[in-house]
Amino acid sequence: MEGIIAIWQRDLMKFFRDRARLFGSFTMPILFLLIFGGGMSGTMEAMMTGSMPGEADRFNYVEFVFPGIVAMTLLMTSVFSAMSVIEDKDFGYMKEILVSPISRVSIAVGKMLGAASVATIQGVLLFILIPLLGLSYNLKALVQVIPFMFLLACALSGLGLLFASLIRSTQGFQLTVQILVMPMIFLSGALFPVSNMPAWMDVIVKINPVTYGVDIMKKVMIDTENLSATVLDAMGLNITLFGRQITIFEEMLFIIIFTIVLVLLATVSFKRANA
Amino acid sequence: MSSIISVKDLTKTYKKVDAVKGINFEVEEGEIFGFLGPNGAGKSTTINMICTMLKPTSGSIVINGYDVKKSKDKVRGSIGIIFQENTLDEKLTAYENLMLHCRFYQVPKSERDERIQEVLEIVDLIDEQKQRVETFSGGMKRRLEIARGLLHYPRVLFLDEPTVGLDPQTRAHLWEYILKLKEKKGITMFLTTHYLDEAEISDRVAIMDQGNIIAIDSPKALKDQLGGDIIELSTEDNDQALKEISEKVKEAEVTVNDDIIHLKVASSDAFISSFIKTLDIPITSLNIRKPTLNDVFLAFTGRKIGQTSE
Ligand SMILES: Nc1ncnc2c1ncn2[C@@H]1O[C@H](COP(=O)(O)OP(=O)(O)O)[C@@H](O)[C@H]1O
Ligand SMILES: [Mg+2]
Repeated sequence: MEGIIAIWQRDLMKFFRDRARLFGSFTMPILFLLIFGGGMSGTMEAMMTGSMPGEADRFNYVEFVFPGIVAMTLLMTSVFSAMSVIEDKDFGYMKEILVSPISRVSIAVGKMLGAASVATIQGVLLFILIPLLGLSYNLKALVQVIPFMFLLACALSGLGLLFASLIRSTQGFQLTVQILVMPMIFLSGALFPVSNMPAWMDVIVKINPVTYGVDIMKKVMIDTENLSATVLDAMGLNITLFGRQITIFEEMLFIIIFTIVLVLLATVSFKRANA
Repeated sequence: MSSIISVKDLTKTYKKVDAVKGINFEVEEGEIFGFLGPNGAGKSTTINMICTMLKPTSGSIVINGYDVKKSKDKVRGSIGIIFQENTLDEKLTAYENLMLHCRFYQVPKSERDERIQEVLEIVDLIDEQKQRVETFSGGMKRRLEIARGLLHYPRVLFLDEPTVGLDPQTRAHLWEYILKLKEKKGITMFLTTHYLDEAEISDRVAIMDQGNIIAIDSPKALKDQLGGDIIELSTEDNDQALKEISEKVKEAEVTVNDDIIHLKVASSDAFISSFIKTLDIPITSLNIRKPTLNDVFLAFTGRKIGQTSE
């Protein structure tokens, strides 16, 4: 247990010392906010609400897309933070960890928690932009969403960890991640609804943990209770699985299982890396 | 004396290379055990297998009573290792590196700070503990790694080429620390080196070449085994001199290396005066010495230890 915390804290400590990385990771979400939030919001609103003229003025695309962009930040930071595993291998520190009596699963969990915490901190820092975007979320909702953000970050860090434990070079990792991250964002409902997808894409949407993470975040952050069913539909917030509408609890369960499976796979891969 | 490490029929085959070809040895409690051999001999491979970092192809290893295959965690808790390459976190301070190590090895909380100061004292880094490791020199980093390897009071400390890449002065200094440690802690040490002088400090040396152990004994016994003295000779015409030697001198073993003729004789005192008279070719240099471990290596393999590289 102490081993897990030590590995976790080390990654957090290093994150706070590396200011360049801290600020560097903000450029992408801000760019997306400018494009989707500023430039394209009118178009998007028109597209999404086209079929229901009366509701158009009650729908704010920026309010819809902001949690999506936070989720995108979680995705990118989680996966890239997991790259610390490759850096540790390159700089030799991984040997110090692997030769110690810490169990391999604790190493994987510690690394996963480290990356997930870094990602959550980055995600929460994006909240600073809320007033600048002219948005107003309920403060209580913003606090409530943080644990869900952390949960999603855990799943995504687990994914990053698995890739990092399998791939040797940082370049190879970055390439793989870039190929992986974009579809995960576009096929999650983060930036636009994914309700009417062709069947094969729908499969990707439904096994993508970002889908459920984003859905929970939107339901917590956006005041969904006062929105009509048509608006909810336009936002794509009525995810159905096997013809039944999925609950927040089931979505959490999916993310948790996803996390456990990936961390276990990463553990196996750590074990095979040496004896 | 009881043995703390016991290795039986150990082999390791990488995809194509047979790096370790069935070696057997025991390391006794409290001794300094040296692995001497040229680069590529299989020293690191052996040490990594003993330390659970590499899976043996076959054979068995027992450390401190624990089988390396079955009880990895117990083995890991009983050993400290200084790898051939740097494994410090350079972005953290020396103190932070040591504290993380205490936590990885579950050193009791109340003892951590005391132990950290104790090991820093041994390697003379008390004043630098708050500095980031990236500001350290190569020698300081090595010392810090040694300190870190001691924190959890391991039964055996492994040192894989601890002085490689350091300048001669730093090397000598580092050995002082290592010997001081041995005196203070009576810890068992297993070290590898391809420097002959460094192997001399071991209680026993295993000479390794191309995946095999070709001799194990104390440095003194290994050298005594060769016996006598070594005469190193160069002349104006070595080929002619060799011809003459083979005709006239019967009591010496002759080898040639790097344009120097080596004569191994039982006793140089009796030999040298008559020898110089028998040789017609003018001698350009002459050196008489006791055998070194290099001569031992040469006798077993026909090569000098440094010849494979460096
Ligand atoms: N990971 C590896 N994959 C393939 N061959 C290796 C690997 N590591 C070492 N070797 C080979 O095994 C042999 C022994 O290497 P090593 O144990 O590092 O020797 P030493 O430490 O004595 O210099 C060398 O021929 C080396 O090239
Ligand atoms: Mg080596």
